[in-house]
Amino acid sequence: MKDFLLIVKTEGDIWSDLSPEKLQKHLEHGTAYIGNLIKEGKLKNANPIDKGSRLITESNGIIKDGPFNESKEVVAGFFHVVAKDIEEAVEIAKSNPIFKDIPTKIEVHPLMAVQEA
Amino acid sequence: MANQFEINQLVDHLFRHESGKMIAVLTRIFGSENLELAEDVVQDSLIEAIKQWEYKGIPDNPSGWLFRVAKNKAINIVNREKYKRQYSADATQWLQSEWTVEHALNFFFSEQEIIDDQLRMMFTCCHPSISSDSQVALTLKTLCGFSIAEIAKAFFTSEENINKRLVRARQKIRENHISFEVPNGKELENRLQVVLETIYLLFNEGYSASTGKDLIRYEICEEAIRLAEIIASHSAIQNKSTVYALLALMQLNASRFEARQDAEGNILTLEHQNRSLWNFKLMGKGFSNLEKFTADKEISIYHILATISAYHCSAANYQSTDWESILSLYNQLIQIDSSAVVLLNRAVALSKVSGPKIAILELEQLKNTQSIKTYHLFYSVLAEFHIQMLEFDKAADVLGTAIALAPLEAERSFLQRRLTYCREKVF
Repeated sequence: MKDFLLIVKTEGDIWSDLSPEKLQKHLEHGTAYIGNLIKEGKLKNANPIDKGSRLITESNGIIKDGPFNESKEVVAGFFHVVAKDIEEAVEIAKSNPIFKDIPTKIEVHPLMAVQEA
Repeated sequence: MANQFEINQLVDHLFRHESGKMIAVLTRIFGSENLELAEDVVQDSLIEAIKQWEYKGIPDNPSGWLFRVAKNKAINIVNREKYKRQYSADATQWLQSEWTVEHALNFFFSEQEIIDDQLRMMFTCCHPSISSDSQVALTLKTLCGFSIAEIAKAFFTSEENINKRLVRARQKIRENHISFEVPNGKELENRLQVVLETIYLLFNEGYSASTGKDLIRYEICEEAIRLAEIIASHSAIQNKSTVYALLALMQLNASRFEARQDAEGNILTLEHQNRSLWNFKLMGKGFSNLEKFTADKEISIYHILATISAYHCSAANYQSTDWESILSLYNQLIQIDSSAVVLLNRAVALSKVSGPKIAILELEQLKNTQSIKTYHLFYSVLAEFHIQMLEFDKAADVLGTAIALAPLEAERSFLQRRLTYCREKVF
């Protein structure tokens, strides 16, 4: 088993852009999805990203807070899952019901484990 | 306004039947190192129930109401104390995220998970690093909803003493990082034996020479049976032969519980019990579990003891008891367990088959054994043998010792009656 980080990216302010009906539907979809991951022991953690993210950049040795609002893309949240291999992690990401409701991209990253000594 | 008495009764009932489930689920969420926190949350939920119900009346689904309060308390604790407390379980992270909190709680409080968590709790409470005294106390407290006062009463000891045992047990769980899970493979085999031993010990605490009318003690027997039933019906346990045997043993013995004393509270020996008072429904369950294990080869002490109990249950009356078969079972049993108490029980069967004289000779060999020296039943059994030999002076002699050692009033008065009988014969 291996750990993977799934980063969910959407455009704009997804939660306030959705109509109340669509939001309700979205939450129902999510219930079954997250409930199943918990039941199968595949979910370590999952969290939506709150408002107020900042971007720190470095240029010529100067670390600064910004630039802001460069892209429309926002990180909506992340899933920390456990899977057999990257293929399974990809399947987990693909079955996320968020695709049905909002234009979404999910990045699937294998997490580097500590090498056995 | 709901009736105060009604509310108290309901809360008592719920406490007994739902608190064990809630404590198990909350321990899963908080991790076994926070067992006491789980106990406190359940206690608080019940206190809140009493307060609310007095004011607003009893809700339609009191169990569901309690579970919801416990869920909310769990969310609050995990989020309020997240930087203060260490949690080993993944679950606490789920309770900290908007995406997972609701799903995680619905999942944890689902029927199957509640069953699984009670099984996990049994293995945690009965970890081999915890002394058996403490295992039993912790099992009664966490899984069976017994208060410290009730446990103390059942064990004839002080509340302070029971509390000490509980504190030590929780400390062991923390220090040894005993995880909240059912072990697997070879470890499961070994650990299951410890769990079954504790359940049997629990049962015997309830069953042993009680005053019979004492509800708490019968409830301990019921709880021991309930816990064994959870194990027997669980898919995580593959080899259930010993579990069925223990279950059969407890059910067959418990089925005679009511008949063990007369209307005045006097103890009745098997010989004088009114067999129509036996609980034949429970006995039937015992026999059906007995059938489940007779087919396989594995023999444990529970198999043999259950079979012996079955011989007693199936006899139409005391006189028609098949003592020959019972004696041969005891002969098998001493191959596995030759402790003094087993030898004492075997001597009773031996007296029926070979006469009291030979049985007395057997007991003579035991009399200096440490565990038997202070055991009142040794002397009362010996006295019965002497009575059968018409040696009333010797019988009176040992009955005196038995009376001095017997822990319960009902037992002492039973022995006193036998002593009076012997004295009348002597003079």
